Amino acid sequence: MGAGAGFTHLHVASAFGAHYGVSWPEELAQAAAADGADALACTDRDGLYGMAKHVQACLNAGLAPVVGVDLAVAWDGVGPDGQVAVPVTGHAPQHPAGRVVVLARGGCDGAGYRALCRLISDAHAHTTGGSAGGSPYVRVAELAAHASGEDPAEPLLYVLVGPGSEVGQAMAARRYTQGRTLLRRWKAVLPAGSLRVEVVSHLSPPGQRLSTAHAVRMLRASRDTRVPAVLTNAVRYAAPDGAATADVLDAARTLSSLEALDDLQPNGQGWLKPGAAMEQIAREIGRDSGEGADAVQELLQQTAELTDLCRMDPGPDLGWMRPVVPEASVIGISGAPERELRNRSLAGARARYPHLVSGGRFAATHEGRELEQRMEHELGIIERLGFASYFLTVAEVVRMIEGMGVRVSARGSGASSLVNHVLRISNVDPLEHELIFERFLSQDRSTLPDIDVDVESARRHEVYRAMFERFGAERTTLMSMQNGYRVRGAVRDAGLALGMESDQVDGIAKQMWRFSASSFREAMDRMPELRGFADRVESGRRQGQQQLDLLVDLTERLDRLPRHISMHPCGVILGDATLLDRTPVQPSGIGLPMSQFDKHDMDPMGMLKLDVLGVRMQSTIAYTLQEIERTTGETVDLEQVPLDDPATYEMIRTTHTLGCFQIESPGQRELIGKMAPVEFNDLIIDISLFRPGPMQSDMVRPFLEQRHGWGMTRYPHPDLAPVLAETHGVTVFHEQVLRMFDVMTGCGLARADEFRRQIGGPGEQGVEAFFRREALARGYSLEVIDEVWGTLHAFGSFGFCKAHGAAFAVPTYYSAWLKTHHPEAFLAGIFEHDPGMYPRRLMVAEARRMGIPVLPVDVNVSTDRFRLEWVPSHPELPDGGQGRWGVRMAFTSMSGLSGTEIKRLMAGQPYTSLADVRDRARPTRRNLERLAQLGALDCLLPPGGASRTDLVHHLELQHAGTGSSAPLGHHPDGRRRRAGSRQVDGQLSFALPDTETAALTPMFPSPSRDQQVRTELDLTAMDTSAHLMESHRAYLDALGVTAAEDLLSLRSQSRVLVAGVRVATQTPPMRSGKRVVFISVDDGTGCIDASFFTEAQHQTGEMLFSARLMLIEGTTRRTGPKAISLQAIRAWDLHRPETLPNPDYLDSTREQWRAWLRRDRQAAAARRAGQPWDAPGALPDVPHHSTGGWPVKVGAAVGVPPENPDATGGQRHSSPPPRRADQHRPVPVPHPETWELLPAPER
Amino acid sequence: MGVFTQSVAVGRSSAGVPEQLEWNGRTYVVAAEPVRWFERRRWWAEERRAERGRGAGLVDHEVWRVQVRLARAPRSPLLTLDISHHLDSGRWRLIQIHDAVRQDLRESA
Repeated sequence: MGAGAGFTHLHVASAFGAHYGVSWPEELAQAAAADGADALACTDRDGLYGMAKHVQACLNAGLAPVVGVDLAVAWDGVGPDGQVAVPVTGHAPQHPAGRVVVLARGGCDGAGYRALCRLISDAHAHTTGGSAGGSPYVRVAELAAHASGEDPAEPLLYVLVGPGSEVGQAMAARRYTQGRTLLRRWKAVLPAGSLRVEVVSHLSPPGQRLSTAHAVRMLRASRDTRVPAVLTNAVRYAAPDGAATADVLDAARTLSSLEALDDLQPNGQGWLKPGAAMEQIAREIGRDSGEGADAVQELLQQTAELTDLCRMDPGPDLGWMRPVVPEASVIGISGAPERELRNRSLAGARARYPHLVSGGRFAATHEGRELEQRMEHELGIIERLGFASYFLTVAEVVRMIEGMGVRVSARGSGASSLVNHVLRISNVDPLEHELIFERFLSQDRSTLPDIDVDVESARRHEVYRAMFERFGAERTTLMSMQNGYRVRGAVRDAGLALGMESDQVDGIAKQMWRFSASSFREAMDRMPELRGFADRVESGRRQGQQQLDLLVDLTERLDRLPRHISMHPCGVILGDATLLDRTPVQPSGIGLPMSQFDKHDMDPMGMLKLDVLGVRMQSTIAYTLQEIERTTGETVDLEQVPLDDPATYEMIRTTHTLGCFQIESPGQRELIGKMAPVEFNDLIIDISLFRPGPMQSDMVRPFLEQRHGWGMTRYPHPDLAPVLAETHGVTVFHEQVLRMFDVMTGCGLARADEFRRQIGGPGEQGVEAFFRREALARGYSLEVIDEVWGTLHAFGSFGFCKAHGAAFAVPTYYSAWLKTHHPEAFLAGIFEHDPGMYPRRLMVAEARRMGIPVLPVDVNVSTDRFRLEWVPSHPELPDGGQGRWGVRMAFTSMSGLSGTEIKRLMAGQPYTSLADVRDRARPTRRNLERLAQLGALDCLLPPGGASRTDLVHHLELQHAGTGSSAPLGHHPDGRRRRAGSRQVDGQLSFALPDTETAALTPMFPSPSRDQQVRTELDLTAMDTSAHLMESHRAYLDALGVTAAEDLLSLRSQSRVLVAGVRVATQTPPMRSGKRVVFISVDDGTGCIDASFFTEAQHQTGEMLFSARLMLIEGTTRRTGPKAISLQAIRAWDLHRPETLPNPDYLDSTREQWRAWLRRDRQAAAARRAGQPWDAPGALPDVPHHSTGGWPVKVGAAVGVPPENPDATGGQRHSSPPPRRADQHRPVPVPHPETWELLPAPER
Repeated sequence: MGVFTQSVAVGRSSAGVPEQLEWNGRTYVVAAEPVRWFERRRWWAEERRAERGRGAGLVDHEVWRVQVRLARAPRSPLLTLDISHHLDSGRWRLIQIHDAVRQDLRESA
């Protein structure tokens, strides 16, 4: 060993050590391998955050992984003589000892790794989670205990005391004696042979820390104390280029500007230097220490020896790729899990299919045999893979959740399994919907399948706690997730590092829209909304100011770097009793422990993860049912509701689906308007169509045309007709992709799913070759093969599995049914749990549109929930004489009111006077004023007396000068005043009016509606009493603005101005690769969905993503019998009056519009003719912000040549089949990126 | 100590260690093993750009402290100089001449 075999870096931070390391594990491993190293360590700060990725990267690069951690240590509990004293308590360390590196011993069947995991968990046990929970550290005594192995000669952990330790700090300050004393103390406390001195030189200037002189002193101390020394470079980046990024991360970590940062790295030499450079450093240290070549050799030798002790054998040491599931005894079985699963499945089948299974036998009918075969098939695969106990575990979890009375349903491909269905894990019958088990699990997959379970979001934490209790805290932990820099966060932290004003940076951040931070500079050139910023950069450059240029560069540097870990929104890890030996844990935001590993680490680390996702819609449904029962006594069992209720589908077809699961987004409303669903299967297809795959491969339009009988259903080959019939010849489902593979190549469904997974990845070419060869051999013509492959290629990995669509369609239908038949209760549920993509205020507007009274916060009636309330008569009711149910705003809707205050307010109801509220509810002064402003105290005002404004003034006067926010009842003044009024009016009884309010002199009128709306928005973020746009009514009327509800009566291609509050912005991927921005605004009469193409984006400029109240000029485009949308021409920000058009705008610019329309028609005609359209003076295209590289990757068009051959460049298929020539603009149906559509996880 | 920034030409060994330098039209040879370090720069204030992939030399520059004497006068007195190497441009500059010899320099200048 030694120098010849390359140098091993033993102290290396990866980017996963948040706000410290700069380089990704792959970069580090590749750099080390390129230099000829045969091993590499990963020692992130405070945890094993990057470890699994490091091990994978090392295996890929042919290196032996070494794993460790860089930890803060403290002497607490160790006496000065090195004797371990009584353990101390308390969280913050009393005697900090700096930071050390701890490496796990390798080749010992995981003993070293176990000790490392436990050590790190102990370090985090000193914290309470969250940013304010303190920082992790470990006591030297704890470290010593974990490092001791059974064999005293073989410690489990090695501790590197280096420049960051207290010893190193003493040596840097030339306190030699202190340094040596501390080192001896370390030696006395730690097990024999586990201590090393870490020698580092970053070649900083003489006299500074990390200089060669500093290293020399460390080396001498190691000599004097007979502790072996090792050489590292305390690496934070793979190459010198990362040094500036490290500076920015240091600034971000300490929330400081670079200029003010006093703890900057001394220079930029903390990179993964090649072995030759490290040997050179060793020689310089040797020379300066005056010890010569032997000492140099010894230093390198000892480094190599430590490396050899710490090489990890991934399988035995880390449990790499070895799945571990809970012990059979924990899930309550004693025999073989396979037999148990078989028995339970049979019992479950009896319950699910009573007509097909009786006793232990399946019926002898066709259906019975089919059921039996399917069950045998699935159980066979599960048994061969050894996953029986996994299925039993999931079944146990679901049983437990159902037992808690929490709504639960499986989502995703798990619904493809009959075994899941009979075990009650999934509610979808896979036979009925022709779902394929292999899409979920097959012999060819060796990793555990994902079974995802949706539960009520509001009770998610309760479910987690129950799981910890049920399986034991030693077997259960939450999964974590890495949160990386996105562009807005990156620009904020880059601005902070440069010391820019936060207002200025915020303004820039608001204009940014979802491009990758790494392409900021390119985005500046191409994105219209950044034009103003680009101009400022340019003018700054001319004036010799470089700050904005640097801002762009630093933002790009931060791209994707991890910022922190947090609890994953749904992952729970279940293991056996050794789980905490295999993952370090730390407190999460909710107190429960979470693993330092994220979802990518689960399979390699052999961990079983269950996705238990909190879904707000499930909570909404639960609450709606509860309110129905409370107000009417009726118990609705949704399971019994027929799935073919005509009224529900009629409601869906009106596209008034705001609030309904999965079908409320602007694009979905448009699609529904076109598709007009009539049955449950339509909902499954609708949800599945609304995905990137079908959108990008132009599946929606042909599907709609064929569905409505406008186009001929056509199959690439008659053999495929049975596969594609249900979707009119269009590929919509993964299941269809699998069957197409199988039909044309005979590969079997299991392999077909493997092929599907490889599409879009590096293995695709092999799949294509196989497909073409086998299909050709079976006699399919080249045209058919080309066409089908084109579909498979485009659709491949993007599409949607029908099982998932079916699982989603159930809550979609339930929510639509509830909105149809119990609209008031449903809206109360929506207000209460806020499940959708829109701000709550839009749902208030929806209630107003539906004529459902929305009742303001009232101190005597409101509670901590949005409750149904009978309204005998109400100004908003069309027929005031007849009562109806309305929704009372909850106290929780008012910001600033604490949970305790709400409890007291509720406990004290009803109140007869202001004094009564003060006395019994004791809100803070500010909150009492807020309640008055909102009108919550109006009920205490005497009729015909003082107004709400008078009351607010009165309270403000009373509170002026005291300035405190202490509860009112505790204030002596309050008591005296109340006592005084009581004395005067001592004989007044309960029923008489409030004397304090009665005594107010009416001076001011009630607040105007505009004032009221403004107050409501400020305090509740909802405009309850009138729509926000009302305050702009006069100007908008003068302009001739069209209301949303009137749009539908207009002809297509009418020119209109519309105005409203922005409720959604989406930029779905488009087949053309150009960006189209879909903005939805709400004007009180409904939603208007406007699409901004290239020209409109240029016309609109900087306010495209930042304006809240918008005025939009556009042309109507009818998209279906009930659907109309707007093609925008330009838009204005209503908050910038100086930019707004004059009232005669529509008349004075008619000619410009005609010219625009002509151009637009010419362009459309050119597209139809398949010619590129280059209008004179055309504005540059705005590319879509793909998450991948730049220029944007575009899915191949299927059967249609790319819209603009230049834009899509390297198409794989040079000769697409000339099937249709009817070119058209990008599908005008936006679909949000999938994650936006998925129900929002609990915040 | 005086602070200069004068351009110098430096000849280096294959290992990158300075061996001789030309300064003010004279050639000097390095007479003792030089010492080197990397000195930090306030790059956020001094630089216009800090783009990714720019490489070495943004955050620090290399400094060598060399003891030299005139190549043509082997018995001339030793000078101790700090010369900096800008890794991005490849240029060398003389940044410091240590006290003992500055006097002589002034006199001879």
